[in-house]
Amino acid sequence: MSPTIELAACSKRFGERVALRRVSFTVPAGTAVALTGPNGSGKSTVLRVVAGLVRPTAGAALVDGTPAADLERTARGTIGYLGHRALAYRGMTAAENLRLMARLHRRPADAVAGALAEVGLGDRGDDRIDGFSRGMLQRLSLARILVTGPALLLLDEPATGLDSEGAALLDAVLGRLRGQVTLLAATHDDAFAARHADAVIRLDRGEVA
Amino acid sequence: MIRDALVLARKDLLLEVRRREVVLAMLQYVITTLVVIHFAIAGAGSSQKAAAGMLWAAILFTAVLSLNRCFAADQEEGALDALLLAPIDRAAIWLGKVLAQITFLLIMEALALPAFWLFFFGEKGPHPLPVIGAVLLANIGLAAIGVLVAGLAQATRARDVLLPVLFLPLSIPLVIAAVTATLESFPGGSGAQESLQFLAVFNIVFVSLAWGTYEHLSGE
Repeated sequence: MSPTIELAACSKRFGERVALRRVSFTVPAGTAVALTGPNGSGKSTVLRVVAGLVRPTAGAALVDGTPAADLERTARGTIGYLGHRALAYRGMTAAENLRLMARLHRRPADAVAGALAEVGLGDRGDDRIDGFSRGMLQRLSLARILVTGPALLLLDEPATGLDSEGAALLDAVLGRLRGQVTLLAATHDDAFAARHADAVIRLDRGEVA
Repeated sequence: MIRDALVLARKDLLLEVRRREVVLAMLQYVITTLVVIHFAIAGAGSSQKAAAGMLWAAILFTAVLSLNRCFAADQEEGALDALLLAPIDRAAIWLGKVLAQITFLLIMEALALPAFWLFFFGEKGPHPLPVIGAVLLANIGLAAIGVLVAGLAQATRARDVLLPVLFLPLSIPLVIAAVTATLESFPGGSGAQESLQFLAVFNIVFVSLAWGTYEHLSGE
């Protein structure tokens, strides 16, 4: 069951720097919203706040009515977060990384091979990821999300580094999941927003524009 | 939770086997310390008891060396975020690291203890069983406190400085008890029982504290 996201007057400061100023919006369950805006506008911070990885300084970020940073572990496990980094271990192979996540998420280990194949890394599962390109790491991140079976997808510039084949795979995966998950994606790509989002929210200097 | 902790400890050990970043540095540090102390105090009247103190100083600072790298692999590609979002008790992350740190310390001590005995103690040294008991108990306390502090420090820019600043004062009671246990195990000593009991109580308190608070302290 995909959750509803609600930000209510959500503000976040990092020391002296204000990243978000009283941001409010709602993403209904099962819908897709694109966050757009220039660099430094607060898109990534919104995603990390909704993931519960950082706490708002003021206001609230709620996932199905519960503060994101206080979600109990089962609800936390339904969040699929794709950030600027691969969220994986460089000293391990692609398959080892996904098997680790599958075990921690109580998912069957045989989901790993299917996820690797779906993102076009089927023949690279036994390679250590410290030799992977940016695009391959992005594909691995997508595979990690597929393995963990999320109900809420938080994607931060998901097409970054992907070649045309990778971008098509991303489109296919998001198309398949559409309606089954709640999606909040930060993007600079208007075409991506038009293809995958039901609504677009523009941020500028930490505020909804 | 134990199962998750074992999975995460296995991951840390696998990474160490492949990269050899921590244990080799620990071994190099402890051997260098041993050689320097040997030249500094060999032949002095109080060399054996001084060496007992130096042994624990070496163990303590080698632990700092290891703890400084404790979360390094988790930070390289942001994997710690994936662990924080996993549907596991976050204390399993702490416990997994504690188990891995204890393993690293045991590997280092498997070399350091016989070497210290050979260089400094010989037949006139302390009774080995209480010293081994002190080492095993101290490892638990050092790892439990150290991983908690490393977890706090890793979220800050000053992590390399913050770790020893927080860790060393917290570990002083534990190290004093371990040194006392070692000294009291020398022939003519009053026995190490009291010090070992202190170490056990210290571990119960700090393991419980760290276990209960890591969930709330992890993350941002």
